[in-house]
Amino acid sequence: MSSLPLRVATDVGGTFTDLVAITEQSDGMKIITAKVDTTPPDFDKGVLNVLEAGGVAAQQIDFLVHGTTVVINALTERKGVTVGLITTEGFRDTLEIARGNRPDFFNLHYEKPLPFVPRSLRTEVPGRMTYKGEERTPLDLSELPSIIKQFRHNGVQAVAISLLHAYANTQHEEAVLAGVKKLWPEVSVVASHQITREWREYERTSTTVLSAYVQPVAASYLSQLNDSLVSQGLASSPYIMQSNCGVDSLSATSQIPITMVESGPASGFWGAAELGKMINEPDILALDIGGTTAKCSLIEGGEVRIMTDYWIERSRKSAGYPIMVPVVDLVEIGNGGGSIAWVDDFGKLHVGPRSAGAVPGPAAYGKGGLNATTTDANLWLGRINPDYFCGGALQADMDAAKSALQAIGNKLGVSVDEAARGIIRIANNNMVNALKLVSLNRGHDTRDFTLLAFGGGGPMHAVALAQELQVKKVVIPTAASVFSAWGMMMSDLRRDYFVTHLADLVEGAASRIEDVFREVEQNARNTFVAEGVDEARISFLRYGKFRYQNQEHTTEVALSGTVTDTALSEIAESFRTAYEREYTYRLDAPVEMVGVHLVARAEVGKLQMVPSKLGDTDASAAVKGTRGVDFALDGKHLATIFDGDKLTPGMAFDGPAVVEDSGSTLVVHPQNNLSVDAYRNIHIRLGAES
Amino acid sequence: MSNDPITLEIIQNSIQAAADEMFAAMRKTAMSSIIYEVLDMGTGITDAEGRIASSGAGIPAFIGVLDKSVQFIITKFGEDIQQGDVFITNDPWHGGVTHLNDLVLAMPVFSDEHIIGWCANIAHNSDVGGMAPGSLSGEATEIFQEGLRLPAVKLIRENITDQSVMDIITCNSRMPDFLLGDVWAAIASVRIGAKRLEDLAGKYGVRTFESAMETFMDFGEQTAKAQLAKLPQGTFELNEPQDDGRQYNVKITISNTEFIVDLRDNPDEDAGPTNTSRDGTIICSQMVFKSLIDSDSPANDGSFRPMKVLTREGSVFHAREPAAIGFYFETEVRVYDLIWRCLAPHIPARLPAGHFSSICGTFIGGIHPDTGRQYTIIEPQLGGWGAWEGRDGNPCIFSGFHGETYNTPAEISEARNGLYVDRMELNTAPGGEGEFNGGRGLILDYRIRTENGFLTAGFTRSVVKPWSLQGGIEGSGNIVEVIKADGSKEHYSFVSGLSLTTDDVVRIITSSGAGYGDPKKRNTEAVQNDIDNGFITARRAREVHSF
Repeated sequence: MSSLPLRVATDVGGTFTDLVAITEQSDGMKIITAKVDTTPPDFDKGVLNVLEAGGVAAQQIDFLVHGTTVVINALTERKGVTVGLITTEGFRDTLEIARGNRPDFFNLHYEKPLPFVPRSLRTEVPGRMTYKGEERTPLDLSELPSIIKQFRHNGVQAVAISLLHAYANTQHEEAVLAGVKKLWPEVSVVASHQITREWREYERTSTTVLSAYVQPVAASYLSQLNDSLVSQGLASSPYIMQSNCGVDSLSATSQIPITMVESGPASGFWGAAELGKMINEPDILALDIGGTTAKCSLIEGGEVRIMTDYWIERSRKSAGYPIMVPVVDLVEIGNGGGSIAWVDDFGKLHVGPRSAGAVPGPAAYGKGGLNATTTDANLWLGRINPDYFCGGALQADMDAAKSALQAIGNKLGVSVDEAARGIIRIANNNMVNALKLVSLNRGHDTRDFTLLAFGGGGPMHAVALAQELQVKKVVIPTAASVFSAWGMMMSDLRRDYFVTHLADLVEGAASRIEDVFREVEQNARNTFVAEGVDEARISFLRYGKFRYQNQEHTTEVALSGTVTDTALSEIAESFRTAYEREYTYRLDAPVEMVGVHLVARAEVGKLQMVPSKLGDTDASAAVKGTRGVDFALDGKHLATIFDGDKLTPGMAFDGPAVVEDSGSTLVVHPQNNLSVDAYRNIHIRLGAES
Repeated sequence: MSNDPITLEIIQNSIQAAADEMFAAMRKTAMSSIIYEVLDMGTGITDAEGRIASSGAGIPAFIGVLDKSVQFIITKFGEDIQQGDVFITNDPWHGGVTHLNDLVLAMPVFSDEHIIGWCANIAHNSDVGGMAPGSLSGEATEIFQEGLRLPAVKLIRENITDQSVMDIITCNSRMPDFLLGDVWAAIASVRIGAKRLEDLAGKYGVRTFESAMETFMDFGEQTAKAQLAKLPQGTFELNEPQDDGRQYNVKITISNTEFIVDLRDNPDEDAGPTNTSRDGTIICSQMVFKSLIDSDSPANDGSFRPMKVLTREGSVFHAREPAAIGFYFETEVRVYDLIWRCLAPHIPARLPAGHFSSICGTFIGGIHPDTGRQYTIIEPQLGGWGAWEGRDGNPCIFSGFHGETYNTPAEISEARNGLYVDRMELNTAPGGEGEFNGGRGLILDYRIRTENGFLTAGFTRSVVKPWSLQGGIEGSGNIVEVIKADGSKEHYSFVSGLSLTTDDVVRIITSSGAGYGDPKKRNTEAVQNDIDNGFITARRAREVHSF
């Protein structure tokens, strides 16, 4: 092991804890990966185990990023704490009324999601702000002591404060916050303005309540992790991966942990953006296929899109719960390697969203799973090597796979082969539709984009999806199955601030808009500096959210430099252009600003990847053999099988082929042309025309 | 390309995705809050003959509208339908189905110079002219008073907008900017859908594309028939008194192959605007039918093939031109609930107890005190839903007429409309108790900030309350209160153009859902919970639950 400083990312998932470590050695950079079982409830043990498995000593680590599913798990498993809510008089039921929608609208037995705080623990204080942030009625805290008494009596462990129009003026919330801290210093308490400054009281209240709900759980997880690592010799606290593709300090995350809610997918998409910049592919469709789900996101000009329209448990069947924090814009569908294929009462084939999980897993695991999964179909068609299943850790039970596929075939009245092909085609179609949601549906032409696929299942399906979408080309990053952890190491300290601010874009509006940006920037800068971040490393990106007057939904536009009255018409024009691309038309109507979005970043000594020299194109040294592979729509072919670990920069070859490494299988269709770049990423050109 | 089932399935999924995309595009670009927030809109894709193949999300009451509009356009225009045309209609006797506020836009989709399908949408526009702001008035006695009638005309000819038509439409609106923005949102939506369908037909071939639509509809029919066979057979009848003293009647005959809704024995059409077209009545029957037989699979033309609706021309459920139909939705929700109630005692496993069952359409307008601009609130309200065996009903969701519809946040309403929302909370008035309780309705207080405002509202289930099942207690009822600045109170269920002034409070009160089962059998822990949460007083719990 090198004595040079190590950069390390650890990622705690539901089943496995992953490690990626990078060390710079005399002969270039080396990537170390390791995987161990996750160890609930003492997750820090799994982290120490994975460091040990990778041969990484804590005191060697220069920079550690940690990703965890602790927040989303606490939410979905309802393992948070009892929360008490303090809100504006007349609005204690906001959390239960929600928005009133019935997504499953023909279902008369629809069940509205239950509120996280029962009515008896939802309390009110008099006092009102207006939407302009002016005080309409003074705050009255005379009942606060009895509210706190009642909370204590009822076992409340965390207090959430959410008052009407607190996005426009935080004073009342600050006063309630101070009052609670004074009366009950040891309780966990959070006010809505500490998390978001955007309007919509239900969404903001839900966000605040859910943050309070997970705060004690997340704080104890993080402090236990920190203590454990520090006792092993880690020099500085780990950074924590966030849903906005940035990392944040452990102490800030402990206060407002809800920002971690979608950190898992975020790191992969950030990695995709960063890798894109490295290899000069700024426009990317990023696809992450795991065991249970596939997630995708669009990256344009090297920038991920961050939004605050995030919901958990929302589907065609349920309204779900909103969490108004910055989350990378993504679409997720229940379609992964373990997704179960099934035939409905009318002979129609479906794949997912139910998954066979790790136990019993796909039928071919031989652990008693009777359902055919996408993985079983891939095995049957020769796309996955049965003798190198799960990186050789498992011998595929092909009899079990066959009988599971046979059951599907019997229901459809087709052969096992056709059933397997059907499963692959349906699964691919589900993923194509998800990719269209983030691209075509938003006015982007997929032909301008490169598909970057990762996760255990990404390389398997990437080419088929790319052909359907006619993307420019496909890139498979090196160590694709642990690419998300790599993405974490590329992250900066990043905080996204969204503030609702209504303004007509007319003469004289600029100075007030500029004031809002400056105030938020100053606030962001002060917070970073107070945490010990060098001021020189802090940078800002400004975005405005605009709409035509009277509209509701906004389009975000990047702003450069100081906002001046002369710049307003340019800003309005860039809004009109962005709007027209997405929605096909422009209007004469006046343009209105609805809010600002400020990205505050501080580099934390980001990893610089070093390219290797390109060698010979001859890839014969990596050939393992040949086998028959069924490429579904592209027919059956004898494919050359390559050992992914032996591919070196510069190698190139044509499909049909399969590239196998311990974490994933890449299927290269006939007429595809593959080459390995200086960072060991695989580039695939699709066919004759490219 | 082959016609294999997987390919057909993939095309069907893609058609559904296109309908969803049309919906999303329209939602994001609309100008009226009733479209973008309330989502009083729908999108759909039909085959070349105008049979519905797929619908976007939105409200169930709009699912069955668009096929009827497209079929009317096909009949009217025959050969004169060109690529790039966009048609517009809003008149129930010219393919419009609902009321004049709802503009339907439809665009034919071509492949190799043949029509392969249609993309259409419908949305409630804020003002299309007529005698009252917002175009809806309880005083209307004929459709001419309810706005500009568009009898299915071309708005765009071969990609060129007919500015004359556009000018006539906008000139007839009190809110021309909103209308123009909303119409362009609708045009963008049908164009996006058309582009997706063209790509699909181009990729898979027109034959395969058409075959996918065909099999999808056949699948809908099979699903419907298979479920129909599981329902109890026979003829069921219900007479139900209404708030206004009239009586409605329905007879439903269920056999293995048919579901016949007979509404012929009903009162003559109303002199005012609470009438619906026959098409509107058919849609309500479709909604109950779909919920009853299979709420899960997507609705298309095939889903409704076993259903027949009988109406009498000149009745409230089959109004004749030129009857006023502005408040058609309240008549529709009544016939919807009538069919539901008629069958519920016979099929309790599929049909819960009655819900607040009114759109509770609320229209408030005036001048925004901060911007000086006109504002108009047009919104349906939330209310309680009925209980069923084993579960309490849902509190505060939209009626069966609406679906993926969102209420307006108080913070946004105060900024946009320049009034105060003093409270928005659950209505804990007695009612709806049972072994399983109905869900709670809403109390919403709007405090007016300027002079010269107005209120129009139409609430039913005010007198005749939501109906219970198996010995439960009926719901609490829907009503509007106006609390004048001087403290005096007035109650309304239907009110039109009532003057409002500074510091008047409009209090919207919606009903709880009805209870299911004997309230005395309610689990004591559940009752204690209700008391702790302030949903019921200890005294009322003693009375109804013997607690």
